[in-house]
Amino acid sequence: MMASQTLKRIVAPLVDPAVYDFWAQKISPTLSWDRCLARIESRHIEARDTVSLILKPNRQFQGFQPGQHLNVTVEVNGIRLTRSYSPSDTLRSDGRIRLTVKAIPEGRVSRHLVHHSKVGDVLELGAAFGDMTLPKEAAAWLLVAAGSGITPIMSLLQTLLQKPLEQPVALIYWARTRADLCFSEDLHSLTNRDPLLKIHTVLTREDHRLADELGGRPREALFRNLIPDLERRRVYVCGPDGFVTSVRGLLEPHAALFRAESFSPAPVVTRAGAPVTVTLSKSNVSVQVPSGTPLLKALEDSGLKPAYGCRMGICNTCSCQKQTGSTTDTRNGAVQNEPGPVRLCINSANSDLTLEL
Amino acid sequence: MTSSMTNVLNRSQKKANRPSDEQLAAFGAELDALRERTLSDLGERDARYIRRIVAAVRYTEVIGRGLLFFGLFPPAWIVGTLLLGISKILDNMELGHNVMHGQYDWMNDPHLNGKTFEWDLVGTGDHWRKTHNYSHHTYTNIKGMDEDIGYGVLRLFPEQRWRPFFLGQPIYAIIFALLFQWGVAIQDLRFGKFFNGKKSGKEMLEEMKPFLKKTRRQLVKDYVIFPLLAGPFFVPVILGNLVANGIRNLWTYTIIFCGHFTADVQLFPKSVLKNETRGHWYFRQIRGSSNLTGSKLLHVMSGNLSHQIEHHLFPDIPAHRYAELSVEVRAICQRYGVHYNRGSLVSQFSQVIWRILRYSLPSRYVPINASA
Ligand SMILES: Cc1cc2nc3c(=O)[nH]c(=O)nc-3n(C[C@H](O)[C@H](O)[C@H](O)COP(=O)(O)OP(=O)(O)OC[C@H]3O[C@@H](n4cnc5c(N)ncnc54)[C@H](O)[C@@H]3O)c2cc1C
Ligand code: FES
Repeated sequence: MMASQTLKRIVAPLVDPAVYDFWAQKISPTLSWDRCLARIESRHIEARDTVSLILKPNRQFQGFQPGQHLNVTVEVNGIRLTRSYSPSDTLRSDGRIRLTVKAIPEGRVSRHLVHHSKVGDVLELGAAFGDMTLPKEAAAWLLVAAGSGITPIMSLLQTLLQKPLEQPVALIYWARTRADLCFSEDLHSLTNRDPLLKIHTVLTREDHRLADELGGRPREALFRNLIPDLERRRVYVCGPDGFVTSVRGLLEPHAALFRAESFSPAPVVTRAGAPVTVTLSKSNVSVQVPSGTPLLKALEDSGLKPAYGCRMGICNTCSCQKQTGSTTDTRNGAVQNEPGPVRLCINSANSDLTLEL
Repeated sequence: MTSSMTNVLNRSQKKANRPSDEQLAAFGAELDALRERTLSDLGERDARYIRRIVAAVRYTEVIGRGLLFFGLFPPAWIVGTLLLGISKILDNMELGHNVMHGQYDWMNDPHLNGKTFEWDLVGTGDHWRKTHNYSHHTYTNIKGMDEDIGYGVLRLFPEQRWRPFFLGQPIYAIIFALLFQWGVAIQDLRFGKFFNGKKSGKEMLEEMKPFLKKTRRQLVKDYVIFPLLAGPFFVPVILGNLVANGIRNLWTYTIIFCGHFTADVQLFPKSVLKNETRGHWYFRQIRGSSNLTGSKLLHVMSGNLSHQIEHHLFPDIPAHRYAELSVEVRAICQRYGVHYNRGSLVSQFSQVIWRILRYSLPSRYVPINASA
């Protein structure tokens, strides 16, 4: 491994990664000089509109900690799109990763992965992020999940259960109906495994709930009933933005520790003229500019000097990579929420932006 | 006046005809709408196309270079050289030129990014992005601003002043064609300024650094590494590389000259830039460009610059779309009485040669028409 790394560093100046990848991928579709590619090894249906994908990453994969998420890039209709997904399994000895994805209506990436991806397709993986990870010491846990927010929670739970529990662990899992519950069998078998583990499911739209199923939205009484010792619990929560906000209000003041992750939707779009923050990641500068003004002019007005040529969208001189945020093409009003190259002279900001400048 | 003379007059008047401002506004709106329609339709089909071109570049290069190792056997040398030439042409034109315009930026593929793409040519991508994408595309055919007009060595229009130097132009044109990649590579370095003392040697050297680095890489690749790999058979490999580069030079020169230096194209004065509207801009692009008619093969091998008009109207739309766009562009031009210049490669290139020969000789200096 070390030797191959050294060899790689020596020959690097002679290698064009694009050419290397082209030929290497004739041998194996996930080989790459410098990118982490992963092949879909198998798919299975996990719940309504939800599939689990087992991925085999190449050697560029840096790993993850249970509870973290990865940036996953797929090509949909010729366009590479990036979204976050949390591995839903503990670290596996065979190096495979399991992602569990729920198709949302109109969702470009989720619908592609759920309905159109095939065994053998190749995805790109980025580095792992997130601080909802497990500390070394044992602790009493309360894990709360809603919808596809179960994914990192499942990974955490399975990791906790690799050893006999020393302190109590509870999972409260919200879903709309029984058909929307992921990992039902796994969860069922886990319940019998350790007396210190309690699993509760809450179904908000199920007409005929079973005896052990609860109903309704998050509320104080429910948490108090299920978790009398809330004060000593460390709480991790994952789910849609609104859900996370309401659980935060209920639990954060009482719990020993509170961390949450929301699978938040598209960036907040401000009204034209309102100030937004543009962060230039290479030069490590942040400036406030008015939204709605072409970025080239807005940045110049802040005293910066981005490269430009024609100032009318022809020459591509001003183009740079947008890492995060939403922009509008000032010529036709088209909104672009995806990361990718933007021409500063003909795009204005709708939200805070990070540009690779 | 005889009727045939009136016809000629009408014809040339018709070609120079500029619609009114209102008409140009409507004309521009129609072209904008066409542009939007096409942009919203980009997708899988375009991605598949450009990846097929990438594959063609790679395969022709490997097979071409492979055959050159057996270059002592003449058929292998000939086919190898041709394939390598084709590979370089595809890489430079349908792939490099088009990707560097940002035509495939919407795919968000790091290997097809307009700002970072590098091609198999001595000129650096960065330099090209400046002279070509910026100067030439923004100021197309504006005298004194578009440095592609004669590339600083040729007199192709009566609006350029004659000097005795131009008498040698037929010869310069041939040398320039053979060394086209070098001419393009040094265009922005402005050796003229150095020779007439406006730039110091140190400044010159500093500016030349990226060019020298890229040149070294290209020369080492074509004339050292691959010949060495051939061991005792290095001579045919060197020759094959030299000829392949030459083929690419002649071909790109031919295509590019046909795009802007045919008989009917028009030059513009700097004054057109004042308050130039979108419609005016489109009009100038059309009147400064000319298309080649021909087979699909011609279009692919010319990087679709055979659709020079469409390329100048929509430099950031994937070039393989130009063929279908050209049908609509022509119809729009017809509706507004804007001359749409197209012809076969033979006819357009003959006009280029005629310009090279004709304007090497003295002709009355025509001050540029401010109302154009
Ligand atoms: C840290 C993190 C981890 C995540 N982990 C997972 C995971 O393990 N499994 C999983 O299925 N998803 C996960 N997500 C959500 C995922 O990243 C995508 O947002 C989701 O799949 C939708 O993407 P899309 O391209 O299909 O929808 P888009 O095309 O981006 O959006 C279509 C429409 O849906 C709205 N929308 C976007 N995201 C959501 C959402 N999450 N819920 C409801 N509406 C939305 C948009 O505003 C838009 O109107 C995670 C998100 C984050 C931030
Ligand atoms: S400055 Fe030319 S495209 Fe923006």
